[in-house]
Amino acid sequence: MKKISKKTLNSSFWRWWYGNLTCFSHEHMQTFGYMWSMLPIIKELYPSHEEQCEKMQTYYPFFNTEPQIGCIVVGITAGLEEARANGAEGIDDEMINGIRAGLMGPLAGIGDSLIVGTYIPILLGIALGFAEGGSAIGPIFYIVVWNATSIWFQHYIYFLGYNLGGSAVELLVGDRATAFRNAVITMGQVIVGAMAAAWVNISTNIVIAQNSEGVDITLGQKLDEAYPKLLTCVFVLLCWYLMAKKGMSPVKCLLLMVVVGFVGSVIGILG
Amino acid sequence: MSLLQAILIGIMSCTAASTIACLGTTVGNYTLNRPLVASLFVGLIMGDVSGVIQIGIPMQVMWIALVTPGGTVASDLRAVSYIGIPLAYVGAKAAGLDLGGDEAFALSSSISAMTGVIGITLFYGTAMMNLIWQHYGWAQLDKGNLEVVGKVDALFPLISHFVLSFLPCTLLCYYGSGAVATLFENLSTDVWYVKAILTVGSVLPAVGIAILLKSVIDKTTDLLYFLFGFTLAASMGLTLIGATCIGAVFALIKYEMSMAKLGAATAVVEDEEEDI
Repeated sequence: MKKISKKTLNSSFWRWWYGNLTCFSHEHMQTFGYMWSMLPIIKELYPSHEEQCEKMQTYYPFFNTEPQIGCIVVGITAGLEEARANGAEGIDDEMINGIRAGLMGPLAGIGDSLIVGTYIPILLGIALGFAEGGSAIGPIFYIVVWNATSIWFQHYIYFLGYNLGGSAVELLVGDRATAFRNAVITMGQVIVGAMAAAWVNISTNIVIAQNSEGVDITLGQKLDEAYPKLLTCVFVLLCWYLMAKKGMSPVKCLLLMVVVGFVGSVIGILG
Repeated sequence: MSLLQAILIGIMSCTAASTIACLGTTVGNYTLNRPLVASLFVGLIMGDVSGVIQIGIPMQVMWIALVTPGGTVASDLRAVSYIGIPLAYVGAKAAGLDLGGDEAFALSSSISAMTGVIGITLFYGTAMMNLIWQHYGWAQLDKGNLEVVGKVDALFPLISHFVLSFLPCTLLCYYGSGAVATLFENLSTDVWYVKAILTVGSVLPAVGIAILLKSVIDKTTDLLYFLFGFTLAASMGLTLIGATCIGAVFALIKYEMSMAKLGAATAVVEDEEEDI
């Protein structure tokens, strides 16, 4: 029975953790990071150079996912490679690449929405609160909490994938995982609402009337009485609509808002 | 800005590029690349930590979530963090703005958007240049040289970073800071075009939040959860940590409901994900 040593697994993990995207190109996004990570495992399991070269070819095909949650895929293939070296039946290039290709998309969706779209913004949001007035506590809080939690998590799921092998797939794309993702996303939706209200401030100074003391009453004040920060809410929803429903790219949306803000200020609607 | 300061900022920009950072994804892209974290390091380099962090806050708000689905980026934050922050700081100082004030906030947002566009060029440039190393790598692999993958993945891309991060950031910071200082010295916030730039700066964070919103909204009715959080924060002053607690309640209810639907009697929240 061949068994990959703990040291080799750790070396594979750290190589992926560090190098998953260091040689990014649009042709082979994370392929070289993947190969670099699998190399120590292949070398330990297969003694002859010819065999090493042959087994490495399994990992030539394109790979790309959210790399942090993608740790689990590298762990799974490490487990599968060990089983293959021990002569387990049914594990060949096609099966390994089927799992890799099948997990890339769903994991990218989970990682992008949960880690990048929810967890990081929450941590940054809390850190921004601590940083108010220019305090260094804010960035230091983010550096420590983010790195500690994320490195622990990646290390954990790498070994989870290694131990579970192919059976990890059910865990990742099963109903429970989908329910969990959808639940966390709901939390993200509420938080993004609070973030929009806290950090965006768009208002209008159009004067619509004067009160009995001759002080101007602006449209912005009246709108805020009806629904606080109404104009801010409308702008965020408009940008969302343009990008999500009309397929506008973020850069185009940004440029459009530059024009809207500039023109709005010049003709005196915004500001 | 002295040449040494510009060089140090240039080095930081290499460690931190979006996606392709030379310190990896977790430490490079998601730590040093974030404008809030960058402002701490730029602050140390410029000798004014609290001032630079105040400039960095609006830039962070704008790019709070930067998801890069399939390698298409809305912006590469290395340019925002390591060109935008130092130049905005120099400009705001020269103009004599209150660094924590609304005007400095709007000015940083505007500069953040402009430098974000520079970042996109740097991002695609780096990805293109990495093709050279990868093609060399495939050729060597065909010859049975397995050790080449480490060099291709971790060593050669440093050259791409030198050409496309270090040089542009260092040069723009070194030569740009003088120009920006001169430009802003006589800036008066009452002139119409300055007012317009500041208004633009107040509108732009809406785009950043909308990018984040897009990443968490699956179907249009989900917007109600967004409005729920927005209303509580705008009308009742709910803080972000408070919103997290309230959001978590909804998450739990939703999870238990879907598990009940699946017929699973025991609805225990899995801890397969990071606990938030």
